[in-house]
Amino acid sequence: MTAENHYLQGIPASPGIVIGRAWVLSDRGEIKGRFHLLFTEEEQAHEVDRFQAAMDQAHEDLTRLRQEIAAEFPEHAHLLELHLFILKDQMLNDETLRLIREEHLNAEWALDQAFEKIKELFRRIGDSYIKGRLADVESVYRRLMGNLTGKESLRSFDSPDPVIIVARDLSPAETTQMTGSTVVGFVTERGGRTSHTAIMAQALEIPAVVGLDNATDEINPGDDIIVDGLLGRVILNPDAEVLEKYRRRQVEFAAFKAEVAQFCTFSAYTLDDHATHILANIELPEEVQLALRSGADGVGLYRTEFLYLRQRHLPTEEELYADYKKVVEAMAPRQVTIRTLDIGGDKFLSTLEYPQEMNPALGLRAIRFCLKEQEIFRIQLKAILRASAYGQVRVMFPLISSIQEIREARRLLQEVQEELKAQGQLFDPRMPVGAMIEVPAAVTLATLLAKEADFFSIGTNDLIQYTLAIDRGNKQVAGLYQPLHPAVLRMIQQVVEAGRSGGIPVAVCGEMAGDPLYLAILLGLGVDELSMNHMAIPMVKKVIRLINYMDAKQMASQAMDMVTVEEINEFAAQEMNRRFPEIFRFGSALAGAF
Amino acid sequence: MITKKSEGPVVERELWVENRLGLHARPAMKITNLALQFEADLTLEKDGLQVNARDLLAILTLDCPQGTRLVLKASGADASEAALAVCQLFARKFGES
Repeated sequence: MTAENHYLQGIPASPGIVIGRAWVLSDRGEIKGRFHLLFTEEEQAHEVDRFQAAMDQAHEDLTRLRQEIAAEFPEHAHLLELHLFILKDQMLNDETLRLIREEHLNAEWALDQAFEKIKELFRRIGDSYIKGRLADVESVYRRLMGNLTGKESLRSFDSPDPVIIVARDLSPAETTQMTGSTVVGFVTERGGRTSHTAIMAQALEIPAVVGLDNATDEINPGDDIIVDGLLGRVILNPDAEVLEKYRRRQVEFAAFKAEVAQFCTFSAYTLDDHATHILANIELPEEVQLALRSGADGVGLYRTEFLYLRQRHLPTEEELYADYKKVVEAMAPRQVTIRTLDIGGDKFLSTLEYPQEMNPALGLRAIRFCLKEQEIFRIQLKAILRASAYGQVRVMFPLISSIQEIREARRLLQEVQEELKAQGQLFDPRMPVGAMIEVPAAVTLATLLAKEADFFSIGTNDLIQYTLAIDRGNKQVAGLYQPLHPAVLRMIQQVVEAGRSGGIPVAVCGEMAGDPLYLAILLGLGVDELSMNHMAIPMVKKVIRLINYMDAKQMASQAMDMVTVEEINEFAAQEMNRRFPEIFRFGSALAGAF
Repeated sequence: MITKKSEGPVVERELWVENRLGLHARPAMKITNLALQFEADLTLEKDGLQVNARDLLAILTLDCPQGTRLVLKASGADASEAALAVCQLFARKFGES
């Protein structure tokens, strides 16, 4: 029994709060005791039947799951198809049966041995991409073992009490299987906030915490636990007081969610009819469905680094194009804003040789990297342009810090357009080109940049970091990272004014954009578009629909008159708490954590 | 995994893995699927190691990155049609780049 009120911190992956009994999916250590030899033919026949039944069950489950998720998550459907293939494979299937019949091993032992042999063969594979498929074999192995033992199978939960799954890792298929059962949440050791599993959990609305090291060691089966998917926190064996607190929080959050959900389908007009575009930040094509469900007017920031970091090769034009097209088509006729590669040379160690930088935040990254590695950049621009034929696409360049950079980027874009034209490829010749405003130099030059760009998008995360010289990842100074710092507000104001006089729209796409605490002030400063994680969209729409633009302007101007960040913070918090106490409670967690 | 010597005339073809990612899961699934449509015994051989073309995991464990040379052996009633179909699948780079 673990001590009372033991707090563990992980990464929030899907919002909400659940209380339940931990069900720890152990590794194979526990299964060992269930191995035994068979002595009679009846025993053998029985083991063969059990194994066949486990196979049939797995086949049925996988087939059903594949059908269920095929439309919404084609990539996961493909994985499940691979699992079906593995299930039928001779090395797994025939070998297990042979071991039962010839070596007199019971089904679990035989399956385990067959899997060990496959593992040994995979160990010798040199190509790491092919080698990685062992994870899929393992997933099938675990599914079969679960069916055999009947204890670890997610399917076999008959517990009337709510159960929280604690596992090293969960496959998308296993996550899907949790719907409709008594599984109310999950905790995993692996995964990040944009892992496939996290996205599936969000789609299924199951609270989840991922990236919690040692979760399967720290949490014992049968422990009562609280999963706070908003703050990424797990509390082991809570006492009555803590339990009561979280029960209240749970009810409040459910009410909050139901309440703001009504605003998904509305447009974001203030009471006095001022319109703002509410857009979603996405990273994976799958997130488009979630963005649409939350009521996004479009995608304001499509991060494109994933394909470059996932595999050891640089992605091809076709691979990029396929992903972009998927997103653009799904969002059409809504707008999709694609940010070109925002990455440093050091991330490319596998394919390009770049030295580690002493100070990567000030190094060769984003547009600087792209203008140096022009071939990589051109391939991406081509893919973006080709996708633009299928909907409304905008492109934007990150970390612009001079006029020369945006001119150079536009020149390359022009060249690529000529090439595509010569090849007879379709694209939107008037695709808008934006500059991301993330560096103080770009703010200073905003009126000049407005003549070179079709829109601005303020990336507040970087702009705050560079303006205040604060690395948010550094715990010593993280507290000094202040979105409402007078210097930051003045920068935003300056960019909006430059945009206004240049006749181009101004977006904000940092975390700040989805946080209701800052909403009225950003609105009052005159920002035209706000782009945020999809989960923040309904509440942001609600706030906008219930305030007056004139009031927001008034608030912004009051904030601009204050000289310390402390004053402005207190002012914003008070105003927000007074008008929308329920949103104030959860809003910042929902906006910031994801 | 290692298959028995098959009887009858054997069709032999040389194959090259030309797609960038090599024989990973998707191409292996395509080969397996294709092999299942024929009666002929189909094996793939690399450096003396021979596997059944209907065996997905065995194909993966052959460890074939881009540029690998394989020998396809087909025997049985529709051996030549089967061999042709597999050759075409390799030539099309499994529909990849």
